[in-house]
Amino acid sequence: MVARLLQNFNGSRALIVTTNRTAVEALETTLVKLGVTSEFLAVTDGRIDIDMASLKAERDILFVDGDLEGALPLEAEGDPRLPPVPVIGLVGVEAPSRLKRLVNLGATAFLRKPVHSAAIYTALFLGVNQFLLRNDMQNRLDDMERRRRGRRSVIKAVLALTTQVGIDDDEAYNRLRRESMRLRVSLEEYCEEFLGRWAAMPKVTAREEPPGWRAEKK
Amino acid sequence: MLLAVVWLVAQTPNGISAGGRFLFWNGLMVTSRHRIGVMFSTTGSYSVVARSMLNGALLAFEEISRSFPDIGLEPIVVNPGGDLARYAEYSLQMTSSGIRHVIGCYTSSSRKEVIPCFEKYDALLWYPSHYEGFETSNNVIYTGASPNQHVLPLVRYMLAEIGSSAFCVGSNYIWAWENNRIFREAMIAQGGKVLGERYFAIGDTEFDQVIDTILSERPDFVFNNLIGESAYAFFRLFRSACRARGIDQATQIPIASCTLSEPELEEIGHDMVDGHLSSSVYFSSLRSPTNKAFTTAYERAFPNGPAVSADAEASYIAVQLLARSLSAAGTDEVSAVKNAVARQRLAAPQGEVWIDPQTFHAWLTPRIGRSNREARFDAIVEEAGPIQPDPYLVQSSPRYAVVSHTPNLRIAK
Repeated sequence: MVARLLQNFNGSRALIVTTNRTAVEALETTLVKLGVTSEFLAVTDGRIDIDMASLKAERDILFVDGDLEGALPLEAEGDPRLPPVPVIGLVGVEAPSRLKRLVNLGATAFLRKPVHSAAIYTALFLGVNQFLLRNDMQNRLDDMERRRRGRRSVIKAVLALTTQVGIDDDEAYNRLRRESMRLRVSLEEYCEEFLGRWAAMPKVTAREEPPGWRAEKK
Repeated sequence: MLLAVVWLVAQTPNGISAGGRFLFWNGLMVTSRHRIGVMFSTTGSYSVVARSMLNGALLAFEEISRSFPDIGLEPIVVNPGGDLARYAEYSLQMTSSGIRHVIGCYTSSSRKEVIPCFEKYDALLWYPSHYEGFETSNNVIYTGASPNQHVLPLVRYMLAEIGSSAFCVGSNYIWAWENNRIFREAMIAQGGKVLGERYFAIGDTEFDQVIDTILSERPDFVFNNLIGESAYAFFRLFRSACRARGIDQATQIPIASCTLSEPELEEIGHDMVDGHLSSSVYFSSLRSPTNKAFTTAYERAFPNGPAVSADAEASYIAVQLLARSLSAAGTDEVSAVKNAVARQRLAAPQGEVWIDPQTFHAWLTPRIGRSNREARFDAIVEEAGPIQPDPYLVQSSPRYAVVSHTPNLRIAK
């Protein structure tokens, strides 16, 4: 699979979280050149005033200052290291404790404070594309996880076919796989659905084809 | 003439010379004097264009001494000889000696080499050449064309008028890599295709193998990003190889470039100079009174050449804008001069030119020219007026990179 590579950030929105505006002056002026608008988010009592659900991964990029006082400034659902939008860390104090907070926020790129204009396109490019890549990988992991849980259905379906229809396991597997591809669902999903139908039908005694099979041409 | 100007630009082998200018005082009050660095590789493999750039700058200095008698500009000319290390060395010497403005650089590799120095000492580099974009240093004024002013108009023209398949050759450095990337993505997005891409070290002149490949691939045209002597050798060898095979190169496999200028046509040689396409914001053949005055003054000042080029015009523009900005700002302090330059409008040889206040790149007028036997270009396509520079192509490229290879298909049982 070829990951999409984003290189034109025109129309994006930068949400900047910092209490040190002078250190990020170059950020705003350079982002304008790249077609990116900037908004500064208010920080009150160590919390960011933001509705995470309103953020859009296609549009928004979050710049978070690692030197902010207080607890984790973002309240994301699920794993906070997998934020809903790309996060770029603004690094002042290079202490491991501060950097760790940016890692825990899921930052995929960094800009050193005071921000230098020549570093910004690189940070955007890396930050956004690493975010996209990581999302692709996460989706693939989720898919693998679903398939792993579906292994049991595959085994049961193969067993059902071999014992009831009288074909060997290779042939049973090939039939299930062919049919799942025809219906454009994963093998695991198909087997689960197949077993549901299999259980609901009256028990076959003869070597009959189960319901839903296409006639196989010999 | 109120001020008689004598140029005594000399150089010592290891640094900035005692060269400079004598001002013969004629009663007018010079309120400010500024030493201005001028840094071009007037020797080395791409010296032909660089010498025309130096000439363009010097012509502007000479004119400024008459039209802006209130500011005394003293050009300090250095020649890095095409050696990157010497670019850095000279920049450091100039900026640390208090020079705040330098007109210079032709190649992007040299510009990238010196920018850190200009940023460190808060000096301003006036970069007078077309380049590949994706840069906006706070310490550079870009008076040459951005990619949306050279390569993108070329792609549109070639697809509409010449054909949809191209073969790319280039010098092995950032200019050719990036310009070819922009070219390739724009071609593919509009239904064209790139049959091959080859790179050669700057100064290389061995092209037999790639020419064989090109002739067997038979593209509709060649996109050339070779610079200097490599480019001249390629133009000659390619036409000879075509002639030997009975191919009329200019009409059957034309070469299109974003760099090719008049003094370079003269280098290619007389029976091989015609029929080459160039995308540029300036051709010396432009018929306007301003350009006529410019080319006449240039030829009078530099009768031994090299001929005026687009980069010479960009250098001339850079010095003219610098002088006007210094005069308006009343200081050579960088931020004041930058504020002032964004307010200038210059009636340049190519037409009206001004600096975009957001990117500090120039609004310029794109044109496509075809070279003739006199080693000049006939403009065949021309924009109606100046086009906004778009160095990051935010207005003129797709959001996602265009992928040129076929998708990875897996064989499924």
